[in-house]
Amino acid sequence: MKSVRLLARACVAATAALCAFVAPAAAQSYPTRSIIMIVPFAAGGPTDVVARIVTAHMAQTLGQSIIIENVVGAGGTTATTRAARAANDGYTLITGHMGTHAASVPLYPKLVYHPEKDFEPVALLAGTPILILARKDFPPKDLKEFVAYVKANAEKVNAAHAGVGSVSHVSCELLHSILDIKPVGVPFNGTGPAMNALVAGQVDYMCDQIVNAVPQINAGTIKAYAIATAERNPSLPNVPTTAEAGLPAFQAQAWNAIFAPKGTSPAILASLNAAASKALDDGAVRKRLLDLGSVIPAPAERTPEALAALVKAEIAKWTPVLKPAT
Amino acid sequence: MVDLFHNLGLGFGVVFQVSWWSPWWLFGLSLPISINILMCLIGALVGTLVGVLPGIGTVATVAMLLPITFGLPPVGALIMLAGIYYGAQYGGSTTSILVNIPGEATSVVTAIDGHQMAKQGRAGPALAIAAIGSFFAGCVATVLIAVLGAPLTKLALAFGPAEYFSLMVLGLIFAVVLAKGSVLKAIAMIVFGLLLSMVGSDIETGASRMAFNIPELADGLGFATVAMGVFGFAEIIRNLDAGAEMNRDLVQQKITGLMPTRKDLIDSAPAIGRGTILGSILGILPGGGAVIASFAAYTLEKKIAKNPSRFGRGAIEGVASPESANNAAAQTSFIPLLTLGIPPNAVMALMVGAMTIHGIVPGPQVMQKQPDLVWGMIASMWIGNLMLIIINLPLVGIWVRLLRVPYRLMFPSIVIFCAIGIYSVNNAPVDVILAGVFGLVGYWLIKHDFEPAPLLLGMVLGPLMEENLRRALLISRGDWSVFVTRPLSAVLLAVAAALLVLTVLPVLRAKRDEVFTESEN
Amino acid sequence: MADTMGHSATATRNTSLAIGIVLLALAPQIFEFIWSIGTLFGWGSGRGPATVLISHATALLAGAPGAAFGSFGADAKKALSSDVLLALIYSYPLFAVAILTLFMTIRAPQDYIGGIVLMAVALFALWASSDLHGMQGFKFGAGTAPRMFGGLLVALAAAIALTGLLNEGAGLSHYSWRGPLFVMAAIVFFALAIRPLGLIVCAFASFLIAAAGSHETRWTEAVIVGAFLTLGCALLFPYVLGLPMPMFPRFLVQ
Repeated sequence: MKSVRLLARACVAATAALCAFVAPAAAQSYPTRSIIMIVPFAAGGPTDVVARIVTAHMAQTLGQSIIIENVVGAGGTTATTRAARAANDGYTLITGHMGTHAASVPLYPKLVYHPEKDFEPVALLAGTPILILARKDFPPKDLKEFVAYVKANAEKVNAAHAGVGSVSHVSCELLHSILDIKPVGVPFNGTGPAMNALVAGQVDYMCDQIVNAVPQINAGTIKAYAIATAERNPSLPNVPTTAEAGLPAFQAQAWNAIFAPKGTSPAILASLNAAASKALDDGAVRKRLLDLGSVIPAPAERTPEALAALVKAEIAKWTPVLKPAT
Repeated sequence: MVDLFHNLGLGFGVVFQVSWWSPWWLFGLSLPISINILMCLIGALVGTLVGVLPGIGTVATVAMLLPITFGLPPVGALIMLAGIYYGAQYGGSTTSILVNIPGEATSVVTAIDGHQMAKQGRAGPALAIAAIGSFFAGCVATVLIAVLGAPLTKLALAFGPAEYFSLMVLGLIFAVVLAKGSVLKAIAMIVFGLLLSMVGSDIETGASRMAFNIPELADGLGFATVAMGVFGFAEIIRNLDAGAEMNRDLVQQKITGLMPTRKDLIDSAPAIGRGTILGSILGILPGGGAVIASFAAYTLEKKIAKNPSRFGRGAIEGVASPESANNAAAQTSFIPLLTLGIPPNAVMALMVGAMTIHGIVPGPQVMQKQPDLVWGMIASMWIGNLMLIIINLPLVGIWVRLLRVPYRLMFPSIVIFCAIGIYSVNNAPVDVILAGVFGLVGYWLIKHDFEPAPLLLGMVLGPLMEENLRRALLISRGDWSVFVTRPLSAVLLAVAAALLVLTVLPVLRAKRDEVFTESEN
Repeated sequence: MADTMGHSATATRNTSLAIGIVLLALAPQIFEFIWSIGTLFGWGSGRGPATVLISHATALLAGAPGAAFGSFGADAKKALSSDVLLALIYSYPLFAVAILTLFMTIRAPQDYIGGIVLMAVALFALWASSDLHGMQGFKFGAGTAPRMFGGLLVALAAAIALTGLLNEGAGLSHYSWRGPLFVMAAIVFFALAIRPLGLIVCAFASFLIAAAGSHETRWTEAVIVGAFLTLGCALLFPYVLGLPMPMFPRFLVQ
């Protein structure tokens, strides 16, 4: 069975090679073969989940399979470097996020790619709100008290984060720069261990994505002070926004977006963007993303131009926050 | 108790849930099949296969196969992933015993005595006892999860950075005890391993350490890369040395019985029991507890043995105990996931990913909200272990027959499998070259009578030790006394100190007795 | 195992050992020089061979002694280039060991050399981590742990070398070249060829290269087994395990 399929594959490959000789301008009917989507984090992580949900629908629209390739390492920059160097034929794409395409610029001075210069923006997929969380017996009762307490005890409190460059690290740095304090940051190897330490009460607070925190908040093992988005999230209706709770300056979202290597043809970018946008309008896709606590961008936010503007704004936002940290 | 039986009943009900399958070629007839049993079997088979292939570890396997499960129903998907996880644990010991290539930190210890047994023609008993030990440990640990899961969670929360640091110190002492030759050289190898583990990026500042701007080194040396090098490739290169053929031919002629003798079983029964207890306890600790389970078990056996010098030369307890311990730890490491919703290690993090994809976000309430999922998984673990022993015992004969393949054909095959395995972990060609370089390093180490096992253990424990030390000091604001004022940590350090004294004293005494050191070769 | 080459600690033996250690002391510099030749052809990045040669030579001959005998002030240390530091931290201690070797009776060459090479590794690690921050208040810097372990390994390696001087022990083992060479060649070929040539070509060719590492190999048999193994891998890895892996050479597929 298998060898028959192999033979068939060989024939197809040979035919394809022949066709390539005969008609070099075969790019009209993109895509003609499967597309590789690089995900810069491990399978099962928040970025991977978003990428899989959306690309599964995009593959139907495009009529070709999209193969997810998880490439881990160095806060996602290994994968992003690979994507930046890939052929710009539209067959290698990357699902980047706030870390790889914005915060990495100030964090890694030796970064070999630049999010704006080496990539073509395709489409914004989803935003994941960030929460301010604390151990359940941390004295402050609401965000105002928290701000006062942390400012008064900046020498004593410990903030956990999931490693340099992680969403929990950079978003807490933003919070600290707004509050103008420098508490001790305790690094953990990933969100799991950091959450464990918070549940066990070994550290005082952390900023993390909504996905990991909802079940713990509902079970009462940790508490949430505020959500750093403009609106409350349906999965946590009782948690106020930072604006409501008195810290409107703290706005942060972990966003995921598709990028293509620089120089990919506009026609290909357009068809990819259309497919992504169609996926985000699909009921099943929307439901699964909303279940994760994600915020789905409105049609106006899904254009490549909007994404380019977002990347520009995000780099400008994180650079002053993260520069002195390294 | 009634609750427990009710829950287990629920679990087995989920696993044995029968659906009717009516394919067209049966003309309207329907066959009863249980999808979850099928998933469990597939997981166990795939896990065994991948565990046997050198180079691909459990984490890499689960990561690779995760996407396959996305199309399955959630309970089935998780049962299959769990099957892959402990199937790989069973399979991993096979490669360690047969060809001395541990694919996982936990099977490094198995390779020490297991491969010696294989060299003495006792590969069959070694493989069989590994499977039997794993099965026993798996059964006990499953019951433990079901009965004591919730209260044991407190242990996971009691361990803070200071306790982990002390546990890792204890782990390093275990690594010294592992050594069969010179203690000084063993310690040097551990420190060498610690130094290698420093390559990569710093956890606190993100600074790149000793990576020489090589992107593949930015996240440090992979365990599989170094293990394939110093064990796999180095062993092959050494076996190709002129004059080594004789030893190999001898091995092939010496193969005796496939199954353990009565004496083997009697010798290993208590070891299996002790390994199971140690492994069950250490497995609960998130973030590194399970890693040291197997060598804690080995150390215990070596220390209480009447004749410790048998260890490292094919002692069956040296296979039975660590194998039971690592399988027990593999099972109990589900506890923090099931009761707290927090993944204790990389494999469990992937399981969480699988759950998230299926719309289940694990948390402290997962046991109440998704009882069918949790108890179905627990029940499937027991069934999975049963399947694995049924699969593995008959396989022993086939594996042992593999040893009869002439080495001239065997070694290029191992090279290819290792290369593909290493490449597939990160899709990185540089990793393959690095493994080759470590093969040369390992060859050199063999020539200078350094043992690779302590090096690998140092490498695994190094980052855990450094990170927890730094975390503990950050939280205590630089106060080193936390390590002795926190009771659990103090106990662990005391045990470590006692063990060190016990290990070093006999060596010093021996040195005094015989001025000329034993020339072991 | 038993191919010890005798315990003779003759003068000639010691001289060649000392020369070997000197070579080891210069190994990183020589490696960078060889590597830098590639930049002439546009491979890789880094300094050109001429720059490498000049900067290392000046570092070894002038810069390092100046720094070693000059002021050890904190500001002076910061100004040292990484080449000078390499000479200072890595090469000079090994030169000293090489000189010492000349005057020693080595009773267990296996331990002595083992200790010295490990020491070289540790010194190299000390140099490699010399650009990292140390302790900052109660915070560990990035460089604290590597330097701590590096220092510890230097001490342990020295102790091992010392036992090699004090205790009678095994001599140097015999190294063969054929096995390591062909196995390494197979590995390197695999690494370089897997992407452009795909699994099938690459696995088969690597199998044959590795097979050349043993004089027992029978070629017809090896070709047949290699072909079957390649077929097996081609089915197993991409299909059964679902690994994304190129199967055929790139120029055939596109």
